[in-house]
This record gives sequence, C-alpha cells and structure tokens, in this order.
Amino acid sequence: MKERKPNMGCLQKNPAIRRYLWRFIPTMVAYVVVLLFVEWFVHRYHPAGALLDGMAVLPAIPLIGVIAIIGIYLAEEKDEFLRNLQIQSMLWGLGAIMALTTVWGFLQIFTPIHRFQPFMTFPLFWCFQGIATGVLQRKYR
Amino acid sequence: MGCSLKNPAARRFVYRSLTANAVYIVLIVSTALYFHRFHPHGPLAYLLAVLPAIAIFAVIVSLGVYLVEEKDEFQRNLMVELLLWGLGGVLVITSAWGSLETFVHIPHLMPTMTYSLFWIFVGISWPFLLRKYR
Repeated sequence: MKERKPNMGCLQKNPAIRRYLWRFIPTMVAYVVVLLFVEWFVHRYHPAGALLDGMAVLPAIPLIGVIAIIGIYLAEEKDEFLRNLQIQSMLWGLGAIMALTTVWGFLQIFTPIHRFQPFMTFPLFWCFQGIATGVLQRKYR
Repeated sequence: MGCSLKNPAARRFVYRSLTANAVYIVLIVSTALYFHRFHPHGPLAYLLAVLPAIAIFAVIVSLGVYLVEEKDEFQRNLMVELLLWGLGGVLVITSAWGSLETFVHIPHLMPTMTYSLFWIFVGISWPFLLRKYR
C-alpha cells in the first residue's frame, strides 16, 4: 500500500479546504461582529422580553454555521486520508470535551467550583481538536 | 445493523459500556449519599466528586476501543457518523444556551448535561442513518 503523508504545507491547494476556508473565515468574522454588536446593543439599550431573547441567540447563529461548514467540508473532502485525519482529531476533541465537562459537572454539583459557562464548550472543543491534529500530524509525518 | 450483538467488537462494547454504566450508578448514588451524610470538604470532597466521572471516562474509552476493534468498516463508519452528529448537536445546544445564559436569565446548563445531550443526539441520528443506509 502506498504510504500517504498529509499535504499540510499548502492545504489551500485542496479545493474542499479552500471552500471550507472561504466559508469559515467570513462566518467567524460575522461571529465577532455579531457578538460585539449584541454586547453593545444590550449595554446601551437594555432590551427586554422577546427582543432580548432574539438578540441573545444571535451570536450562536454563526457558530452553528461553523458546525455546518465543518460538516460540509467532511462531505466534500475527496481525499480520504485528510478526511480521516480530520474525523480522528474531532473524535479526540469530542472525547476530551466530554471528559472535561463531566469532571467539571460533578465538581460543580458537589464542590464550590466556578460555574462552567456552556459557551466555552465550543472553543474548548476546538482547542482539544487542534492539539489532537498536531499530535496526529506528527504521527503521520 | 439490526442485531449488531452478533458482531464481536459491538458485543464487547455493549458489555463494557453496560458495566461502566452500572459502576456509574453505584458511584453516583454512593457519592451523593456520602455528601448528604458526612458533608466532606477540602481535597476529599474534590476527590469524591470526581469519582462518578471515572465511570463516564470508561464509557468514552470503550467507545474509542470499539472504533479500533471494529473490523467491519461500514459499522465503524456508521458509528463515527453517529458520534459526529452527536458532537454537532452538543455544540449547537451549548453555543445557543451559552449565548442565552450570557444575556438572558435562563436556568444554568449543568456541564454534566453535555454528556447526556450527546447521547440524546446520537439516539436521534440513529434511525435517520439506519434509513439512509437501509
């Protein structure tokens, strides 16, 4: 079997990754803009009721978009090796985030530890996924 | 897919995860009772609080072991797809709930719910994937 190495130097040559980046970067920019806008609006105008509920959900929409973009990338990626690399690192990220939230959850139930903010799940997952990607890249170098 | 227990890797996974879940029930009940009865504090409280999580780790590890042991590529890919849908569901809910918690007074989402939510989304995806691959 021919040995494969990930093309990690110039990933943008890969059309699926190029499309992924074209979708991902504007969505993350939108996230930052929406988050800052909502922060500003809530502090400036102190909305209440349905308007506040609607505003509060707004920053989550780009994040949900990012999740969909990752799914689209996995569906579009023709290179089986790269897809498996991504999936494997996501599964490590999943395991780590489950372990972390479970431990924190039990500590929160029984001890006076700080509350875990649910929105931290998303960035922490990507931190773990990033670490896993680095380790897997070394493994397959 | 109908009777995956014929599959040795799946059988081992079910056996391991059922054992881990039984241990989890014992640990969570005994930890809760101990806290209720003796009100421990300091390092002992932290140590006891983490105990039930060990059984959850065991389930997560048994999932990983299943993915390594599964010889049937189709079954393994099916499980991976299920896990990814579960992950997507968890990230959507925690992002939306987290956003709401920041700006609106809604009940706090306990971190332990992440694990339950994950399995709920895996369970929801299961029949859809079965239909897809029928």
